[in-house]
Amino acid sequence: MMDNAIEVKGLRKNYKGFSLRNVSFVLPQGTIMGLVGPNGAGKTTIIKLILNLVRKSGGEIRVFGLDHLHNEAEIKSRIGFVHESPAYIEDATLNDLKAAIAPFYGKWNESLFRSLLAEFELPADKKFKKLSHGMKMKFQIALALSHDADLLIMDEPTSGLDPVFRRELLERLSALMQDERKSVLFSTHITSDLERTADYITFVHEGEIVLSKSRDEIKETWAVVKGPVEQLTGERRILLKGIRTTAFGFEGLTGDIPAARRAFGSAAVIDRASIEDIMIFMDRGNNHA
Amino acid sequence: MRNLILLDLILHRKFLLPFGGIYAVWVGFYASRVESPRLSVFVSTFLCCIIPLMIFTREDKFKAAAVSCSLPVTRKQVVLSRYVLGWAMMLVVYAVIVLIAAAFPGGKLKTGDILSLNSIFLALAFLTIFFSILMPLLVRYGMVGMFAFLIGLQVLGAVVLFLSARKILPFSVKGIIVSIGRALASLNAHLGAPGYYLFLVAVLLALSAASFALSLFLFKRKDL
Amino acid sequence: MPNILEIRNLSKDYGDFKLKNVSFELPRGTIMGLIGPNGAGKTTVIKLILNLIRRDSGTVRIFGLDNLGDEAAVKSRIGFVHDTPLFYDRLRLKNLKAQVAPFYEKWDENLFQRLLREFDLPPGKIFAKLSRGMKMKFALALALSHDADLILLDEPTSGLDPVFRRDLLSRLSAIIQDETKSVLFSTHVTSDLERIADSITFIRDGEIVFSTGKDDLLDRWGVIKGGNDLLTDETAKLFKGFRRREFGFEALTDDAAAARRRFGESVAVDKVTLEDIMFFMTRGDRRV
Repeated sequence: MMDNAIEVKGLRKNYKGFSLRNVSFVLPQGTIMGLVGPNGAGKTTIIKLILNLVRKSGGEIRVFGLDHLHNEAEIKSRIGFVHESPAYIEDATLNDLKAAIAPFYGKWNESLFRSLLAEFELPADKKFKKLSHGMKMKFQIALALSHDADLLIMDEPTSGLDPVFRRELLERLSALMQDERKSVLFSTHITSDLERTADYITFVHEGEIVLSKSRDEIKETWAVVKGPVEQLTGERRILLKGIRTTAFGFEGLTGDIPAARRAFGSAAVIDRASIEDIMIFMDRGNNHA
Repeated sequence: MRNLILLDLILHRKFLLPFGGIYAVWVGFYASRVESPRLSVFVSTFLCCIIPLMIFTREDKFKAAAVSCSLPVTRKQVVLSRYVLGWAMMLVVYAVIVLIAAAFPGGKLKTGDILSLNSIFLALAFLTIFFSILMPLLVRYGMVGMFAFLIGLQVLGAVVLFLSARKILPFSVKGIIVSIGRALASLNAHLGAPGYYLFLVAVLLALSAASFALSLFLFKRKDL
Repeated sequence: MPNILEIRNLSKDYGDFKLKNVSFELPRGTIMGLIGPNGAGKTTVIKLILNLIRRDSGTVRIFGLDNLGDEAAVKSRIGFVHDTPLFYDRLRLKNLKAQVAPFYEKWDENLFQRLLREFDLPPGKIFAKLSRGMKMKFALALALSHDADLILLDEPTSGLDPVFRRDLLSRLSAIIQDETKSVLFSTHVTSDLERIADSITFIRDGEIVFSTGKDDLLDRWGVIKGGNDLLTDETAKLFKGFRRREFGFEALTDDAAAARRRFGESVAVDKVTLEDIMFFMTRGDRRV
């Protein structure tokens, strides 16, 4: 039985105007999971709940098999984190920040950190406030990668970073995964990155988990169906989500490719859905336009 | 916890050293010009207390708490380290202020007055009261809340005094101040007895403990 | 006036970074994507267009006017979004709008209110309380509400989800339909540009590497994959950039058809993405 790096069951969080409801998913050890969803869906909230930055209203979170509240410090010593809004004491230099943070981690690797700083082109004596957003993210990434963390939790780690660095980061993450004890949870809006590296994808929408499956399974199950409007009969409509009709025809998302094939036959074109497609169609909801 | 204390010291040293240094000199100067030892202690300790609070609010200002709390620490350790560091800073700054006050020529106070057992006790009492009240406020409401409270108190005080002078209030503010003064004077009179000192120390410790418990309670529930 | 924006020999020297002789044009009724690695100079170019920083030399003509000589006239027709939306944190959105709107003659209040609704932005909300994505949306709402003829966007979609991004792209496409307006948008999310840009300008190390039509670019260029034995000093010269891996090499060519003819069946020729182009031309083992 594979151990799970993260197990979330029935997680709830109530805010004024927004609530996270009954969130459950599992991150198996040795895998990379992408967390996607529209702005405000709850991705950052989920991540903050796992890190206990925000108090849960109910439910259970286990990390490395341990309760995330009772064993908070122990769990966090094995987590490398990247927040979507990097916030550090602004006029501290990167060296200061490292000097302040490194001692917390038993497995801190100074030479690895220095080589990452060099590779990411981050001058160690520069004040944090003088960095661009992308560089601030890179700094967090450098910190997160420098203490042999067993779990990397990253919230929009690639925002503000150019495609070149993104590709390199993803390759680095994939390389890390060679060690099967390591796992990665990362939320992103750049779904093309996930197509490349994620093993699992979890969709969050309006505070709920809509879908949490392996990428392979998603590829085999979800597709975009397009065809002439006349072909969209009542029976066939039911199979599709997020339908949109234009002068050129209709398009909809199906979660059951075999059924769609049977129902539509050659009347429509059925193409594998990209992660971005799924997000967009799901967001349209069950509006049958 | 040692790591948390070092973290605060490393990250804030550029602010702390100049700010704390200039502050201490300024307060020391003022303290030496005041005639009443009690007033001197009151003002010095109050301003002393502000220094660690300013440091802790900087984290609030930069929203950096999310990072400290993502590190391998519990909320309890964070609050505890702040109390320990806060006290250490206050004592150090107070000592510096006393030294500077003594060093300034032409001071009206005698060093002996400030360093007497009574004065030290008074200082500890004030520090405890200020710190114990302001820390939970800071934790819950942040920098803005703390200042709102302090300014609000002053405004309230001004309003009360104004109304009292116009005889609008049903009670006499002067009367209240006089009776508080008498109570403190009688306290002072008892201060010779060792049992009394122990009692006061116990009260101060209890106040600190209550403040810590409250801060911890608030901080554990704070969403970052 | 065929070009809304014309830049000639624009230069700026910062000491450790220099923008050198940047020239390109943005025709009317088109969308241009500006791509390049972090630090390449994209934001510098945009700031120079807006005269937020002083250029050392060169000319910038917008709507046929000089961007320095007719600064106010030019800016009244420009809508812009910076990569870090900076507004006075403590004000409410409606107050921020009240500060900005009077500068624009063609301010359309109805449109602005509609955009706020569509973007889900409550006018009474304090700017500091918005998430990064929502701050961007607010800046966009302002930029789109005064019938600007040139829309400048510096990383507008950083932090925005695919749903909103796609919506933004369709809005931008709709704006240029009347052929009088243009959009210049710098972004790292190259898949968005592949969807709507008419032309692409690539900046690297302060210089323009190319500025050309997008369709043409994506049709002509390609990614070649083959065995390492095929990658010799001679053949390497044919590529814009390449990478040797254990199992073979990958290389970028600006003439996929020629590569097919040269190598025949021994290599695979794949369609190129903008991301590929950026990657090989900045990080490949060799760059041209």
